[in-house]
Amino acid sequence: MRLSPSLLIRQNLTRKLLRSILLILCIGVAFFIFGVLSSFRQGFEGASSQTSRLVVASKVGGNETLPLSYLPEIEALNGVSDVTHITRLRAFVGNERNIVGANAVDLESYARVYADAYAFDPEMLRAADADRTAILVGRTLAARMGWSTGDTVTLTSFMHAREGGDRNWRFTIAGVFDGAEVTTDTSFLLARADYFHAAVMRNKNRVDLFGIQPKPGTDTEALAREIDALYANSGAQTRTQSETAFMSAFLEQFANIALLVRLIVGVAFATILMIVANTMIFAIRERTLEIGVLKVLGFSGGRIMRIVLAETLVLFALGLCLGLSLTAAVIPVLADALQSVVPGLYLTPRVIATAVALAVGFALACGALPSINALRLPIAAALKHR
Amino acid sequence: MTPVSYDIELTGVYKSYPLGKSRIPIFEDLTMTIPDGDFLAIMGPSGSGKSTILNLIGGIDTVDGGHVSIGGTMLDKMSTRALTRWRSEVIGFVFQFYNLMPMLSAAQNVELPLLLTDLSASERRERVHTILDIVGLADRHDHLPSLLSGGQQQRVGIARAIASDPRILLCDEPTGDLDRKSADEILELLQLLNTKLGKTIIMVTHDESSTRVAKRTVILDKGRFVSEEIAQCA
Repeated sequence: MRLSPSLLIRQNLTRKLLRSILLILCIGVAFFIFGVLSSFRQGFEGASSQTSRLVVASKVGGNETLPLSYLPEIEALNGVSDVTHITRLRAFVGNERNIVGANAVDLESYARVYADAYAFDPEMLRAADADRTAILVGRTLAARMGWSTGDTVTLTSFMHAREGGDRNWRFTIAGVFDGAEVTTDTSFLLARADYFHAAVMRNKNRVDLFGIQPKPGTDTEALAREIDALYANSGAQTRTQSETAFMSAFLEQFANIALLVRLIVGVAFATILMIVANTMIFAIRERTLEIGVLKVLGFSGGRIMRIVLAETLVLFALGLCLGLSLTAAVIPVLADALQSVVPGLYLTPRVIATAVALAVGFALACGALPSINALRLPIAAALKHR
Repeated sequence: MTPVSYDIELTGVYKSYPLGKSRIPIFEDLTMTIPDGDFLAIMGPSGSGKSTILNLIGGIDTVDGGHVSIGGTMLDKMSTRALTRWRSEVIGFVFQFYNLMPMLSAAQNVELPLLLTDLSASERRERVHTILDIVGLADRHDHLPSLLSGGQQQRVGIARAIASDPRILLCDEPTGDLDRKSADEILELLQLLNTKLGKTIIMVTHDESSTRVAKRTVILDKGRFVSEEIAQCA
């Protein structure tokens, strides 16, 4: 076989094959944890969350509602371009474990405010307009439930009963909509708010949220303060936040997902880094004499340092490939199983790019100490090492 | 311009090693000249400074005082980078325990220093083949060191030392780990490299019989030359 620096690196990595395999597995597990947890985080937060849009909710909490009469007052504010309202149905299909995301909305204004997040076909909107019981179903939910346009479905609400006390709501699917991006959450359905508010027994014309599209160039923080000030002395005080902040606050009701992810990934990486760095230091120390001989033969310290760094880079590259391959294999299974909990669970290019950057950074960090040791090693001392 | 003659000159060399908080001098005023093409054997008890002389001449250790000059090049004035490059071109090392790379074949071990040259892969292969032929190991081309005898491993070590065609070979106990027969073969090979190829050879040895192939033998004790013997045949 032809001798080359890459052959030297390969031979060094394979001389203690089991050790190299275990290191690669170690690194692979770290990046698997990173890949899955980061995908979870992105899935929770939703790629469609954008900071310019504002969400108005009750200041008291997620279960409290706001009067629909706020809408024209908010719409009249200076920095507001468009407003829509959302009421959660809190429903399931068939059995109580089969929860579906369902919102009663004004489809026309909803489509305008969320135009960048969801693709609503005009035909679909016209069909929904023609039937009060019409619903539009997100692509992910439709696929999960096996629904298609024209189907009639019955949702049972946990908290909204119809006039007469029946909690079952029958709808007809008028269309299936897609997200603007692959990561956009489409695991929910939209019903017509006019039908819902006319039929619901209690809390008529009370909504959970208002979605606001500010005018371009508007100071959204000032606008949020203005809205909250408007209702500061009312019976239903508001809390206005950016959509991203709202999503984060919503998730933090359950747990601080971002912090958990950072902690778990941080601990996993710190442990892996210490194991790999320690192993590399020992591996290089074992080769002290060989490094001395290479220096005697005329290999410069820099050249030897590059060989050592290349070894750690190869280890991390293989570990990264393993970790991301495992992630890619597991994510679809998890996405399927946890569709109602974590919609939009994908291994995104952003997660992959972050993992690659981390791998390069950690490889250099792990290789730095042993390679600097190799660089500084006096030849005469190295040759005495056995 | 490359000097024609590679005479080795050590002038007023002072060298000491740390021992706790103090330093123990090895050489206090060592001066010697080794002419180009010489075959010098250095003998002496352990700790007399034999290997230190090789290290100083090979540029893998530095003097505390005085100068080491080879072919007019002052080693103590060179940068580490320049010294490394110079060493790869001028010096070949032969070690007592061969110090071959265990995961590389005989040919790959010989080719190792040639990676630092401008030779193409085919030129390197050709030169390795020629050198392995010179040391009598043409049929052991693809053998790993672990599959070779001690004598054969030392031949690979010598082949590696002469691969980049250095003018000077520094041999530290080259027969110290070999049986008599293998030792004799190695000594004959070194003598051949000296007489036929004109290599300057400096050989440190404990074995008096090994000195028969050298042109000169010096005895070192406590950092001083105590006697010198010039071979009859030289």
